[in-house]
Amino acid sequence: MARFVVTRLALALAVALAVSIIAFLLLRLSGDVATALAGEGAQQADIEAVRKIYGLDRPVIVQYGEWLWRVMSGDFGTSLYFKTDVASLVLSKLPTTLVLGLSSLVFSLLIAIPLGIIAALYRNSLIDRLALGLAVIGQALPNFFFALLLIMVFSITLRWLPVSGSGTWKHFVMPTIALGYYAAPAFMRLIRAGMIEVLSADYVRTARAKGLPARLVIFKHALRNAIVPVVALTAVQLGFLLGGSVVIETIFALDGLGYLAYQSIANKDFPVMQVVVLLLSLVYVGLTLMADIANAWLDPRIRVA
Amino acid sequence: MPGLIRASVWHEMTIAAAPSPSAAEDSAATGFAHRAVREPALMIGLALIGVFVTLAVFAQVLATHDPYAQDLTRRTIPPLWYAKGNWDHLLGTDPLGRDYLARLLFGARISLLIGFCVAALAGVIGTVMGLAAGYFGGKVDIAVSFLVTTRLAMPVILVALAVVALIGSSLVVVILVLGLLKWDRFAVVIRSATQQVRSLDYVTAAEAIGASRWRILFGEILPNVAPHLIVVATLEMASAILLEAALSFLGLGVQPPLPSWGLMISEAKAYMFFSFWLIALPGGALAVLILAINLVGDGLRDVLAPDGRG
Amino acid sequence: MVWQGRWMMAGKWIVGFVLALGVFVAPLPASAGKADNSIRFAYDQAPENVDPYFNNVRIGVIIGQHVWDTLIYRDPQTNEYKGQLAESWKQIDDRTYEFMLRQGVTFHNGDEFDADDVVYTLNFVSKPESKVVTQTNVSWIDKAEKIDKYHVRVTTKKVFPAAIEYFAGPVVIHPHAYYEKVGPKGQNEKPVGSGPFKVTAYSPGKSITLERNPAYFKASPKAQAKINRIDIRFIPDRQTQLAEILSDGLDFIMSVPKDQADQLQAVPTLQVVSGETMRIVFMQMNILDNTPAPALRDERVRRAINHAIDREAMVKNIVGAGSRPLATICFPTQVGCTDEGAARYAYDPAKAKALLAEAGFANGLDLDIVAYRERNQTEAIIGYLKAVGIRTNLRFLQYAALRDVITSGKAMLTHQTWGSFSVNDTSASTPNYFAFRAEDITRDETVRDLLNKGDNSVDLATRKDAYKGALKIIADKAYAVPLYSLPVYYAAAAALDFKAYPDELPRFWEMRYK
Repeated sequence: MARFVVTRLALALAVALAVSIIAFLLLRLSGDVATALAGEGAQQADIEAVRKIYGLDRPVIVQYGEWLWRVMSGDFGTSLYFKTDVASLVLSKLPTTLVLGLSSLVFSLLIAIPLGIIAALYRNSLIDRLALGLAVIGQALPNFFFALLLIMVFSITLRWLPVSGSGTWKHFVMPTIALGYYAAPAFMRLIRAGMIEVLSADYVRTARAKGLPARLVIFKHALRNAIVPVVALTAVQLGFLLGGSVVIETIFALDGLGYLAYQSIANKDFPVMQVVVLLLSLVYVGLTLMADIANAWLDPRIRVA
Repeated sequence: MPGLIRASVWHEMTIAAAPSPSAAEDSAATGFAHRAVREPALMIGLALIGVFVTLAVFAQVLATHDPYAQDLTRRTIPPLWYAKGNWDHLLGTDPLGRDYLARLLFGARISLLIGFCVAALAGVIGTVMGLAAGYFGGKVDIAVSFLVTTRLAMPVILVALAVVALIGSSLVVVILVLGLLKWDRFAVVIRSATQQVRSLDYVTAAEAIGASRWRILFGEILPNVAPHLIVVATLEMASAILLEAALSFLGLGVQPPLPSWGLMISEAKAYMFFSFWLIALPGGALAVLILAINLVGDGLRDVLAPDGRG
Repeated sequence: MVWQGRWMMAGKWIVGFVLALGVFVAPLPASAGKADNSIRFAYDQAPENVDPYFNNVRIGVIIGQHVWDTLIYRDPQTNEYKGQLAESWKQIDDRTYEFMLRQGVTFHNGDEFDADDVVYTLNFVSKPESKVVTQTNVSWIDKAEKIDKYHVRVTTKKVFPAAIEYFAGPVVIHPHAYYEKVGPKGQNEKPVGSGPFKVTAYSPGKSITLERNPAYFKASPKAQAKINRIDIRFIPDRQTQLAEILSDGLDFIMSVPKDQADQLQAVPTLQVVSGETMRIVFMQMNILDNTPAPALRDERVRRAINHAIDREAMVKNIVGAGSRPLATICFPTQVGCTDEGAARYAYDPAKAKALLAEAGFANGLDLDIVAYRERNQTEAIIGYLKAVGIRTNLRFLQYAALRDVITSGKAMLTHQTWGSFSVNDTSASTPNYFAFRAEDITRDETVRDLLNKGDNSVDLATRKDAYKGALKIIADKAYAVPLYSLPVYYAAAAALDFKAYPDELPRFWEMRYK
């Protein structure tokens, strides 16, 4: 087990490093930061001056090495655009995105778990078909389109919910639905598949044959086992939701990480862009790492696979 | 050791995207067709896609107007069923006075083209990686698994946005960027399918008679993992079309005057509060197309893996 | 059942956590517009730094003019210069200006305003090491010297007749002791100026709250504010802004596209006001030696492009009220701007086709076009070009990327706009594109010499004459496609009393609720 954890940890680190290199190169090589910084109407000389001041005239590899060294020592640099410390900028946006990500996750689980169980229990029935249909339609509706529809109905027509901002819980209702709805189908499929598998397993059949009440069988035995892969997926989906919040945060003007990422892309704010991509990757890597270790712990077969 | 590198999320990718490996063996052509007909969702999906493809192919014939011809004096005419609609423009005109029906028809071409090309490009990359990893195992597998894990750790939409924003967007750039980002699921699924097929009799037999590695990979293994490939390809096609729409929505997808549906939604969103049909038509078309592709993907998976449905 | 119970507990725990985080997200004060005499305003971009020298976005200019003051003030109605922080001023020689400063003005932190503030600010921003983002606004300043406590002398590097215009625009004055201590970074975190409003809350990239400065000096040509508070939010998506103002979440938005403005006009709780701005719209054509589009070096092709676009129809149908078609690359009120004697190209697609055929492009021509804003107008241009046989490939970019393409000589056609930083002098517009600066992709030496003469001559008649000559050559040789001036549409709560000005600067200090 220790060997497994150590190997996994090393892999996670290697992946994080690889991602940081790729992101750094990708962003640095595809545009001129100095022009972006110098602004509207700047002359060539001004642009060159900016290039020198920010050290953008050195080789990319040197810039990367320097950046990595600073990150290791806790200095994430200064935003080219906002001129503030990147770490505190990103940290100040994190709560909004975390709230959005977690509430979307909870929302999608609240839809997916009951539907998945029902679909599995009444396999091939009308309910199963409807649940599957909902999942398929959920994946077909572009989330930005869905978000705009929500605004039209709940803000403009009914005036129940505020359009944008992050002041109260009401501000999070529509973004949560728009983001979470899209994540629900994956959970639903997994729960349904897991439940079907578990329900046909011997020990459940035995439990049923012993005459245990159906509800007890479902919740105590079946769901408990079917939920294992869901835990892994939950960790991972949270990572995806955080990454996918760009569009939703832009529409609802939620001042979170996704919108910060969009702004920094538009403004060629490389230090911020770097840290956001790295952070989301690290979150993903960390969550999968935890999920893997949890799974290996629950299911010893994985460790030796 | 190769197993160590595989994250548990791959399990979900495999479940959601591909038939269970055992199904690949017994999906003889007749059985397949037989089961396919009994899947109403699959048939509906295929029929819808057929309609879309027909519309796209015959767009030139079906459109009564040039999709690019603008007329600033005939802007934002509503569709026929509105009081101000007229017969000349069945689905009205856009804010530059271009015929909306013609743009929707030609837009179908762009969306299908993007979906197909991205799935093809990603499919080639992912399949080659998956085949190599699954067949050779060992260091190749570790290398491929590392690449997949790295790729999965990068948030697709952010990376795509950043690259497109920086190098400037066009149809080709969007296809390339998405194609180079979306190969992960192909690699994971084909890798595990290849691992299953590798030990089967005919592969070991081919190895025994000294067939070349390439022959074995592409002649023996590839045809056997093809059903998985098709299922993943449909899902990735739908996902690529949606991603392009999202990029276009943020103003960084296909560029005008190309009539992509994502772009049409993006351009119409400013009008949604007062001329809802402008956004509803391409939005609806997009949703139905994605629905159709997903129905086909799901249907194929079920047909190829009957036990998956229980 | 035990398991189910645990699930419910887990659920409760998660909900609790979410709510706890929700509290952590800073709550905005509940604002209500007219009810508490405040204005809720949204803009689509956030300034990178509130210090006006360290951002290059319009909202930065707007915040800058409310929180800070300039030495001189230009009356937007009469274009007359009035003393603001300076009581009066005089030009000593071609390069030297002297300012007599106003006494009794205080900054928001209580510091008294005097010559040290002017000297420190000007010397600081004009140093290249200070990394001022908008170099054009300050790079002409050579130095500032204190004569006595209320007396300052400023020298320009070259003869720079437009200096007064800059002193009345982007060159704001910071409190020297505070600025010296905290720098631009501190001015961003906790801005301190002397203007009619002071910053009371700021969350970068999200919102900024300005409150009325009750101690604002009475002699200022800017009026005493009547509104108590301005809540500015940065909302990137225009539809979200529209949705907000439609559902009474905002009181004021600007730069509403014409079509949406027309539709908002029908909403009884709202008013729509439009006005011309100094922002001009035009197309550049790359005719440098190494141009990727050699066809553009043929004057007939350039004239064809000029004839292909129906400026009048665009102005009338998609650009909107307050816009006017232009025949030269400058804004008509700018000193030295004229279209007298310059060639005019009427909308004539047949002639455009004939000219193209004459130039050997009877079967059409493929060109790239780069653009960065007013995308629907770009699309209309593309449509007109397509109608005469010019097929275009649009690259819609961020401004920085667009500049990159142009300055590196890789552009073919551009769809450009230029706001001259609201400076009402031709030196702030035409030379930027035709005096061999980074974005000049025509490079005609005669034009350059005439423009330099216009920029650096003292005599007004000489200047006007030189600009006129340059503008005529640009038009006659069809070096560019002048299109129109850009209007700006404001949508506001019907009860708000306000006026629109051509410099795209809403003046909240003048506004009041009816």
